[in-house]
Amino acid sequence: MKKIVKDKLPSLWEQLSSQATLFLPVEQDGVVNFAPWEEGDSVNLEALNTVVPPKNVVFPQTETYMRFKVENDKLHIEPFEQNGPYVLFGARPCDVAGITLLDKVFLQEPEDGLYSRRRREGTVISVACNEPDAACFCTSFELEPGMAPGADIMVWDMGDYLLWKAQSEKGEKLTGSVENLLQEAAEEEQKAAMELKERVTAKEAAAAQEMGWDPSGVKETLKDMFDSDIWEQFFRRCLGCGICTYICPTCHCFDIQDYSKDQEGGRFRCWDSCMFADFTLMGSGENPRPTRKERVRQRFMHKLCYYPSNFGLYACVGCGRCVRKCPVNLDIAQVIKEVGGVKSGSE
Amino acid sequence: MKQLAEIMKDIAAQSLSRGEVDLVIGWQKGPLWWQSYPAFIEGNEGNGETGSLTWDSFCVPNLSRYLLEELPERKKVALFVKGCDALGFNQILQDKRAEREKVVLYGIPCTGLVDPDKVESAGLGRGLLEVKRDGDELVFVYDSGEQKAQARDFLYDKCLTCRYPNPVVYDQMLGEAAPVQPEERFESVQELEKMDADERFAYWARQFSRCIRCFACRNACPACSCRECIFDIPEPRWLGKANELSETQFYQIIRAYHVAGRCVDCGECTRVCPVNIPLQELNRKFIKDINELYGEYDAGVDPEQEAPLVTYKTDDPAAFTES
Repeated sequence: MKKIVKDKLPSLWEQLSSQATLFLPVEQDGVVNFAPWEEGDSVNLEALNTVVPPKNVVFPQTETYMRFKVENDKLHIEPFEQNGPYVLFGARPCDVAGITLLDKVFLQEPEDGLYSRRRREGTVISVACNEPDAACFCTSFELEPGMAPGADIMVWDMGDYLLWKAQSEKGEKLTGSVENLLQEAAEEEQKAAMELKERVTAKEAAAAQEMGWDPSGVKETLKDMFDSDIWEQFFRRCLGCGICTYICPTCHCFDIQDYSKDQEGGRFRCWDSCMFADFTLMGSGENPRPTRKERVRQRFMHKLCYYPSNFGLYACVGCGRCVRKCPVNLDIAQVIKEVGGVKSGSE
Repeated sequence: MKQLAEIMKDIAAQSLSRGEVDLVIGWQKGPLWWQSYPAFIEGNEGNGETGSLTWDSFCVPNLSRYLLEELPERKKVALFVKGCDALGFNQILQDKRAEREKVVLYGIPCTGLVDPDKVESAGLGRGLLEVKRDGDELVFVYDSGEQKAQARDFLYDKCLTCRYPNPVVYDQMLGEAAPVQPEERFESVQELEKMDADERFAYWARQFSRCIRCFACRNACPACSCRECIFDIPEPRWLGKANELSETQFYQIIRAYHVAGRCVDCGECTRVCPVNIPLQELNRKFIKDINELYGEYDAGVDPEQEAPLVTYKTDDPAAFTES
C-alpha cells in the first residue's frame, strides 16, 4: 500500500486534472456536490454524502447524444459525444456500490453504449468513511463503510495522510502516474487503517440493527404486498417531488427528449422520476399509476422487490440520503422497518 | 409542548369518534430525532392511532397543502395549523381550492421550529436521541446525558423572521399565544438590491445552477395549487426536461411570478430545497416590491382582502411603463 500526505493533495488535484477531467466533492454555498475540479474550488473530503450522488458522473442528469440539422432541405444526423477520460475522486463506498448496481442494469445485454463508454473511461477512487452518519445503514446491505470493492483505488483518511491502495488495473495505472506524490506505507499504518475499518463497520451495524433497518426477508414479504394497506400509510404524506429519486445512488430511470431551434436540434437523455405524474402517462391519456399511491409503491417495490428479483441484490445501498433529505420523512429505512414487521402472507 | 401534544391527541380522538370529521391531519414522530412528519388519521376514533400524534420542534411540514388532495374525497377534515400553515390555508381558501365549512382548524401557537442542519453544524447531532423544547431553551438528549442551549440559535431562519407565529384563522386555539418577535425579513433582499443587474444575474445563475429540478419547492408550496401545473404538461412541453441553466431559470422565474402576491412567506420552498437555493429571498423581493408599489399586503392574513395583483385601481402605479 501507498500513502499520500494531505499537504500534497493540491498537487494531486493538479496532476490528475492535467491528464483527465477530475471530479471532486466541491462545496458551494454550503452544498457539497461532485463537480469537475477547477483551481480555487473548495474541495470538501470530509462531507460524508454529497447531496447528489456521483451517479451523475457515470449517468449524467442530461446527456445529449445526437445532433441534427436541416440544410438545403436535407436532414443531417450525427452522433454527439462529449466523453473523455475522467477520475472520480472521493466517492464513498455506498456510492461506489450504487454504481455497481447501475452496472447491472446498463451493462447487461444489450449494453447501453453511452453508459459503458463512460464507465470504461473513468477511474474511481473511493474514500472510506470514518464516522458514519445517523442516517447511514450500508451495513444492512452487507456493504462496508470502510471498503469499496468496486473502486479502482481505495483510500483511507488517517488524519495527516491518506492510505492508498490500488484495486484494479486502472487503479494501478493511475497510481503509477502520480507515483511522485506517493510514499510507501508502513505496515503499522496499514494495520491501523484496517482496524479503523473494522471498528467503523461494527459501529454502524450496531446502530442500524438497533433502528430495525434489516432488509433480510423484505424482498419475499413484499411479493405478496402489492395490494397491501401498508401503502396507504406511506403515500398520503408524499409531496410527489423528485428529491428521493434524484439523490438516490441507485435510481436510474430516464427519458429521451429532443430540443430544437429553427433548423437544428439535438436528442438527449435525462433523468426521470417515477414520483412525477407524467412518468407513466401514455399517449392515449391513460396513466397506469394515476395517484401517488401507485407511484410510492412502485419506488419501494422497485428497490426492494423487483430489482432484487432480477439481479439478486437490493437496489439500496443505505447511503441515508432519502432519510436526510425527504421533506416529509418518507424514507426507505422506515419502509424496510415497517415491511419487515409484517409477516409474509398476513394480508 | 408535551402538554400540547396530549391536547391534540384528545381533540383528534373526540372529533373522529363524534363523527365531526372523517380525517385528522397532524404530525407523527419518526424514528430519528429530526423526523416529525404529516400523519393522516381516519375512521371512527382514528383506529387508536390518535395516540401517535405529536407536537415538537420538528413539526415543520405545512399541513394545509394536503387539503388540495384530501378535501375532495372527504366530508370534513380537521387540521392542526401553526401560524404559517394558517396563512397557507387562507391562501388556498382565497384561491378557491378549499371550502372553509369543510375544514376544522385547531390553531397551534408556535415558538419556532428547529433546523436540523443548524444542530448538525454545531456538532450536536452525533449520538443525539431527542431534542426537547423548554421555554427559550432546547434540551439535547444523549445516552450520556443532556445538554442545554438557547433555542433561538437553532431555529429555522424563516422562523426567526416569522411575523405570524399565532394562527390568523382557527376554530379552536390550543394553548397560549406565542410571543411575536420577528427579525427584519427583508435584510437579505436589501443586500440583493444593492447589486447591479449583472451581479444579481450572476448570483441567481449560481444558485439555480445547483437546481436538480426535483420540483419540491413547487410541491411544498401552499400557493402552488393549480390542478395541472404548466411544468407537468407533456404536450406542448413548455419546460424542457434537460437540466440546463436556461430551462431552470425559466422554471424558477415563472414559479416565482406565479406565486407573486399569493406567497404567504412560509419559507417551505427554501426548507425543502435539497441544494440550498434561497427561494424565499426571491419571493420576498416580490413581496417587498408589492408592498412598496401598492401598500402593505400580507397574503394569507385575510382571504376577503383584495389582493393587489388581481385588483385594478385607476390610481395604481404603473411601475413597468414609467421610468
